[in-house]
Amino acid sequence: MGNEYKVQVNHLTKKFGNLLVLDDISFHVKENEFLCIVGPTGCGKTTFLNSLSKLYDITAGEILINGMPVDLKKHNVAYIFQEYSNMPWLTIRQNVEFGLRIKHRPEAEIREQTDYFLDMVGLTKFQDYYPDQLSASMLQRAAIARAFAVKPELLLMDEPYGQLDIELRFRLEDELIRLWREVGTTVIFITHNIEEAVYLSNRILVLTNKPTKIKEEIHNDLPRPRNIADPAFVELRRKVTDLIKWW
Amino acid sequence: MKKKIDVTRIIMGILAVVLFLCLWTLSTREGTTLGKLMPGPGEVFKRLLKMTHTNIGSLTIFGHMLNSLRRVLVGFFLASVCGILLGLGMGWNRKCEAILRPLFELIRPIPPLAWISLAIVWFGLGEGGKYFIIFVSGFANVTINVYSGAKAVDPEVIGAARMLGCPKHRIFTSVVLPSSIPYIFTGLQIAISSSWAAVVAAEMVRSTNGIGWMITAGQNINDMEQILAGIIVIGVVGFLLTTIMRGIEARLCAWSRV
Amino acid sequence: MNQNKNGTKDNKKYILMSICSVLVFLFIWELVTDVLGIFKSTMLPSPVKVFGTFIDKFTNTKPDGATIQVHTLASLKVALSGYLIGVGIGVPLGIAMAWFRKVDCFVTPLFDLLRPVPGIAWLPVLIVFFGIGLLSKAMVIFLSAFIACVINSYSGIKNTRMVHLWVGQTFGATRSQLLFKVAIPTALPMIFTGLKVALGASWNALIAAELLASTKGLGFMINQARGIYRPDIILVGMIAVGITGAILGYLIELLQKLVMKRGWRQ
Repeated sequence: MGNEYKVQVNHLTKKFGNLLVLDDISFHVKENEFLCIVGPTGCGKTTFLNSLSKLYDITAGEILINGMPVDLKKHNVAYIFQEYSNMPWLTIRQNVEFGLRIKHRPEAEIREQTDYFLDMVGLTKFQDYYPDQLSASMLQRAAIARAFAVKPELLLMDEPYGQLDIELRFRLEDELIRLWREVGTTVIFITHNIEEAVYLSNRILVLTNKPTKIKEEIHNDLPRPRNIADPAFVELRRKVTDLIKWW
Repeated sequence: MKKKIDVTRIIMGILAVVLFLCLWTLSTREGTTLGKLMPGPGEVFKRLLKMTHTNIGSLTIFGHMLNSLRRVLVGFFLASVCGILLGLGMGWNRKCEAILRPLFELIRPIPPLAWISLAIVWFGLGEGGKYFIIFVSGFANVTINVYSGAKAVDPEVIGAARMLGCPKHRIFTSVVLPSSIPYIFTGLQIAISSSWAAVVAAEMVRSTNGIGWMITAGQNINDMEQILAGIIVIGVVGFLLTTIMRGIEARLCAWSRV
Repeated sequence: MNQNKNGTKDNKKYILMSICSVLVFLFIWELVTDVLGIFKSTMLPSPVKVFGTFIDKFTNTKPDGATIQVHTLASLKVALSGYLIGVGIGVPLGIAMAWFRKVDCFVTPLFDLLRPVPGIAWLPVLIVFFGIGLLSKAMVIFLSAFIACVINSYSGIKNTRMVHLWVGQTFGATRSQLLFKVAIPTALPMIFTGLKVALGASWNALIAAELLASTKGLGFMINQARGIYRPDIILVGMIAVGITGAILGYLIELLQKLVMKRGWRQ
């Protein structure tokens, strides 16, 4: 085994008091994979990701990165949250630098990485603005730049585009794919939007309702760049939709 | 899970208070230097019980407490009424604001307790001067909060009401007033605790009864038990006053809680 | 454009009204005192007289033994020593109470016992211990400032958003990095509110303390003037207290602008 898998999740179980939320979940993620996790609303997707990243204590099971138990101080992880998470007291540039400074990277690297990723998400012009001066999509892009700036080995994303309108979402999804390919990171991406999952992923995990388990695992080998009108795409989307059927 | 956290909290809290009382008892036991100056908690408590049925000066402790409370409530009531009226007036009407705001701003930086001497000159040693001091202590707090509340009303809501043909006085009663209520309560909340502090100070400076008088009288006869018993009563009443205010607020503006 | 012009014209009108209002106020005050004599000068001195006394007090040491500058400096010395210690202990303690669970569980109940007692009520106890010198008064002011600082710093830290802490945590931040890079910046506006509230409370407590026990200071001056029916000096004292307090408040405001950049303004 060893480094064959980037992330190994074994028998992950989480209870809040007596309420069982995550029920004995096991799966593995390969290096450089783009894994999407979809499930019905309120099925504990966020709990799932927060447990995975050790923000919540887990009740049972183990989570390994490179074969070692997750340690956020050792492993290079970044997390993009559903809510806006920019610090309102920092400029956009300082927000992007935040992770690098936490990790005490050398000053030259901080400057270089920040310049690069500000440019990648198209915020160079706005780097000295404060978050309350920018629009929702710009804020989320700043959060994305902040996450990529540390060159994470594992990137967790919790419905980062849930609150954006459809056109912006398309643009940011393409941007994300580009960054992912360029930086070469492993991504776990949570969404309730099936089309988004099919568009982005190499593999999709479909979750059940609470207590959450993995219902199905679907490989997604559609060639990139993908086209949402392509019959193969539509077919796969229908297949995933049938699996969830929360209505 | 939540319950468990509360239990440790309560245990730790009780432990802290018990430890504090032990430390107090130990450091004031007979023979220590501190012991000559300070009574222990047991003695203070006994004295407090005794005060409920014997007079200090002319009244029992309840009498003093009721006198102080009456002063606070009268002064606080006047301050609330005037503060709310002035705050709403300045927030709602620009002429009113232009005329009264500069006068208000002239008086505001003067600490309320600095009025004590003037109050004595004007009102003598009677109740009037004390009501006045408490009034001054509460008034500015209420006014400034109500004023900012009335100013913070969303102009779009007012615009919408106006567009629907709502007459001006109705906009005031059905838009401005309700949305100022949380601010009014913030003002009242601050005012009640500063009024309580003011009554204590005013009674300490000049009075013949009341809790504040009780502690200065204790100081004059070097009776530490009386001072500490008075401080405990001041703390308990202060706590009750703010708790009651908070309770009323929670009742009346549950909708404004975030 | 047109509307804008109207706006500035309006503003001018209101500023004029404000100026008139102050003038009318002073005029009526002068009218009922010096001119019509409705109030005797031992009750309410006229504004002219108060102004005269104010100027006179810069050089005249009678009747309270010192000029107004000396009194102001004496008051400032007491107030600032108490205030600075109160801030120096209160702010860190409030932060610690909000950040460390154990400190919160243990210290908060003790603080809640202290909190409802106004600082001035401790004066008799302190006088018994330390006499009526600077120390007793500084301690009263310390207590008043301390309570306000603890309350505001505490709730400032408690306002920290979970998601901001999570961002730090996933980047592998240590507890102290989370405190200094996330929680304290979040709390800063509240901490400054605390500093301002504490200043008001200190200044108020100082005056009361000086009324009760002192031989110098603005409160003492006011109290002496009451004894000899000189309300003009009382008013001069009140004005001096007000102006000094306003200047101190302005200095804190300035410090806040210096420390906090625009991002904090919501």
